[in-house]
Amino acid sequence: MSPDIGDEAVEIWFGPQHVSAHGWAAKLTVVGDYIVECDPHAGYFHRSAEKVLEFRTFKQGGLVLERMCMLEAFLAEYPYISAVEQIAGMEIPERAKVLRTIMMEASRIHSLQFWWGQLSAELGLFAMTLWPWVDREFFLDTFEELTGSRHAASFSTPGGIRYDFTDKVRQKLLRAIGRLESNLPKFKDMLLRSPTFKMRTKDVGLFNAEDGIKWGLSGPNIKSCGIPMDLRKDWPDPNLAYDLADWEVPVYENPEHPGQSDAYDRMVQRFMEIETSVSIIKQLLDQIPDGPIVDPKARAKANRLPAGEAYGRVEGTRGITTVWLKTQDKAQTPWRAKIRGPCFASYYSLKHMVPGSTFADFVVVFGSLDPYPGWWDR
Amino acid sequence: MSDISPSDFAGSLIRSYPTVTIESKSGQSLMISVTPSMIRDVVQFIADNLPMALPESVFGVDLEDDNYELIYIFWSHPARLLCQIRVQLKGETPSIPTVSDIFPGLEWHERETHEMFGIEFEGHPDLRPLLLPDELVGKYPLRKRFKTDRSRLAESGLPIVKPRPRPKKEEGSGK
Amino acid sequence: MKGGVLLQIDIFGWLNGILGWVSGVLSWVLGIVDAVLAFVWSVIIWVWDLAWANFFLLFKAIVFPGLVFILMLIIFDVWFTRKVWARVQDRRGPFHLGKYGGLQLFADAIKLVAKETIIPEGAKRWMFRFLPGFLLVVVLLPFVFIPWSSTWIIADLSVSLVLVFAFLTAVPVIALLTGWVSGSKYTLIGGFRAANNQFAAEIPLIVSSAGPALLAGSLSILNISQAQSQLWYVLILPISFVTFLVSGIASIGLVPLDAPVADSEVIFGWRTELPGIYFTMTYFAEFAKQVLYSALMVAFFFGGSYGVPTFPPVLNFFLKFLVVLFFFIVVTSSFYRIRQDQIVKYSWKYLMPLSVINIVIALIALVYVPGLAGLLVQGG
Repeated sequence: MSPDIGDEAVEIWFGPQHVSAHGWAAKLTVVGDYIVECDPHAGYFHRSAEKVLEFRTFKQGGLVLERMCMLEAFLAEYPYISAVEQIAGMEIPERAKVLRTIMMEASRIHSLQFWWGQLSAELGLFAMTLWPWVDREFFLDTFEELTGSRHAASFSTPGGIRYDFTDKVRQKLLRAIGRLESNLPKFKDMLLRSPTFKMRTKDVGLFNAEDGIKWGLSGPNIKSCGIPMDLRKDWPDPNLAYDLADWEVPVYENPEHPGQSDAYDRMVQRFMEIETSVSIIKQLLDQIPDGPIVDPKARAKANRLPAGEAYGRVEGTRGITTVWLKTQDKAQTPWRAKIRGPCFASYYSLKHMVPGSTFADFVVVFGSLDPYPGWWDR
Repeated sequence: MSDISPSDFAGSLIRSYPTVTIESKSGQSLMISVTPSMIRDVVQFIADNLPMALPESVFGVDLEDDNYELIYIFWSHPARLLCQIRVQLKGETPSIPTVSDIFPGLEWHERETHEMFGIEFEGHPDLRPLLLPDELVGKYPLRKRFKTDRSRLAESGLPIVKPRPRPKKEEGSGK
Repeated sequence: MKGGVLLQIDIFGWLNGILGWVSGVLSWVLGIVDAVLAFVWSVIIWVWDLAWANFFLLFKAIVFPGLVFILMLIIFDVWFTRKVWARVQDRRGPFHLGKYGGLQLFADAIKLVAKETIIPEGAKRWMFRFLPGFLLVVVLLPFVFIPWSSTWIIADLSVSLVLVFAFLTAVPVIALLTGWVSGSKYTLIGGFRAANNQFAAEIPLIVSSAGPALLAGSLSILNISQAQSQLWYVLILPISFVTFLVSGIASIGLVPLDAPVADSEVIFGWRTELPGIYFTMTYFAEFAKQVLYSALMVAFFFGGSYGVPTFPPVLNFFLKFLVVLFFFIVVTSSFYRIRQDQIVKYSWKYLMPLSVINIVIALIALVYVPGLAGLLVQGG
């Protein structure tokens, strides 16, 4: 606590045993109902993934990355695999590229569905929590049909993917998407036009785009300020198939405060993200080429990599997700793997974003950034 | 916002700071090597000249024998440019000026690098440990000399159990 | 043998003496027992006479509209809330124990009561033990005045309306005290929020119940409900009904206005530290208030026990009570929680003027709409 705050201030620990603080804690200094200082604490979820990665082979590394964020497992493992593929100089089969992209987008949708249910729970409406989670089950069923696992499926592997699409998977995915599409307008109406939701989220957690970028925010949090910063377009990846689909970067800019973003804008932005992902999946489902899903020769290259450095990046659900990989010659394990989780920045930026808001709004500000403790603790 | 091409940016950086070496990996990526004393100037240059520079991360790499490399990564969306600034450091606990006042988002990255590699960031506002539990503070676990095998069991205070000797294979039963 | 005294014992005499002694002791004891039994018997006779004389009152107080019935109703309310919430949320709710999960609540209650009582170190021990039970008692007392029909009411007072709100005013005080004596920052915040909620909701609540009282010309809840034989007050006081419902929700602290126990913000508000049995009491108190407000709404706005003429009056009241309770629960299951300052703002800026305006409109309508005044029955 800064000494100049005065005697009225009270320090309150928000977490780590708080109901809505699962795996994190923030020390709030409160004067009356207003927060004047926020000191987020990390480390309750720390699993030393970067050290662990130094002892795992390149084929095993993706599994560690998946466990950083189980909700977007298909996306989370990709930067590591991308880095490995860059160092080895692998070309992966066309079919694998398209299937990878489809599953990454499906993973993004179900992660966003989970997030918006969680935010609704924090705002006290459990109906809006469980309705999207029912839809989410259909995506999880698809993953289960495809890989046998509902969350961490270890789908991508250096050199391709491990599980092939069957007709049944395709039907299940189409069913999940159909259900989502029929329900989404209803949910949008119920959320974005709900007066109580507007009362809680409008002008809450407001920040400028410039500040947000200086804090390191990325993904939907920055896109909701009106900046189309999206690695899917900006950072063309030869091993993904985003260029096969025709889509625009979803950007929402609220005319009430251009260049700024509040919790409501982030909600709208994430709905647009879902719609974009749905359109990408639907286009790519028609363009799946025939062929092998993995190139065994390329995959064998991942056993021993040459010396090199690579920077694997992907636009995750929550923002820019990267892995920086350095290998030594004929290495079986990485020399150094640095994971950059997108939520590291969003969690840090609470320190600047929260002071001035009320105690009750803290969970809304936090929840609207789509945080996941695994990404900052790693 | 002004669009700036990677070569323009690299050119103006070279003109301002002739001692910097720049290597272009691909059309979108620059590798900038600087000395520790110049890091603040270069980062300030990036903050001023690279539009919407997003501080992606700062991290250390242990090159063994008290050699460390520090890598700063910035991404500019309007210029579609990725800048990696690399700094070579040497010493038991090397130190470097902080840049967390220029890019607040790097404050926690520096904090993490400090606790993981023991690199001092001069002028950093808050170098408390971030992720590590109390037992590991000051041990710098991401250094290569931090062993994770059984040799460190004694530190943990747990009872040391010796690994059970493997049973010898009986002849003829291996099939 | 000289010089010695031969001690002679009259052994038979001695034995006879023992018998006499024993029978004496026995008769003494029997006398005492007899006297005690006679006293107890006279007490029993006296109580029996008293009870027989007041049998109907006792039955009402203990069994039918009284304690047992109300507790069953609360348990039903908890079950009903869970079922309706589950339906709204696309779930099934409790369904394992008993028919339609009807025994789930008894199982839950047994589990909660059997839990270890843990009193936090910073708590004031005796107040911490005393307040939850006190809260339950205070909340159960107003049920005395609920007119299930003109006969099935435990007691009627000419000022029972005032008395009900007097009892309910004590609830946030107890909540604040509980939060305070629990010795935690979160419970203290929750306690202040509970007090703040009542501060916001109480005036609209009382003002909107003033409309029925004015129309019936009485402060007795029985008279207000009996005065609606011709016309349900909800027809001329619809806005008052809505303001009563909303401020009732705020006063109880149910979901859209549940800042005192908002689990994502202040864990469980002033109830955070309460262990097993004490938590059960406060939990029951919350649902008892929900039942109470639903019954009050039926009595104030929906014609009390009037309804289908062929039904018994109690059944009429109960059916309407169920409908109002259902409406109550659906309302609480479909909104986002609003903030503390917004509750106060909306209660004072909108609810209070609205409830006053409806009374004014009703009075004007009584004067200018022909035939309307004739429908009102003046009570008390």
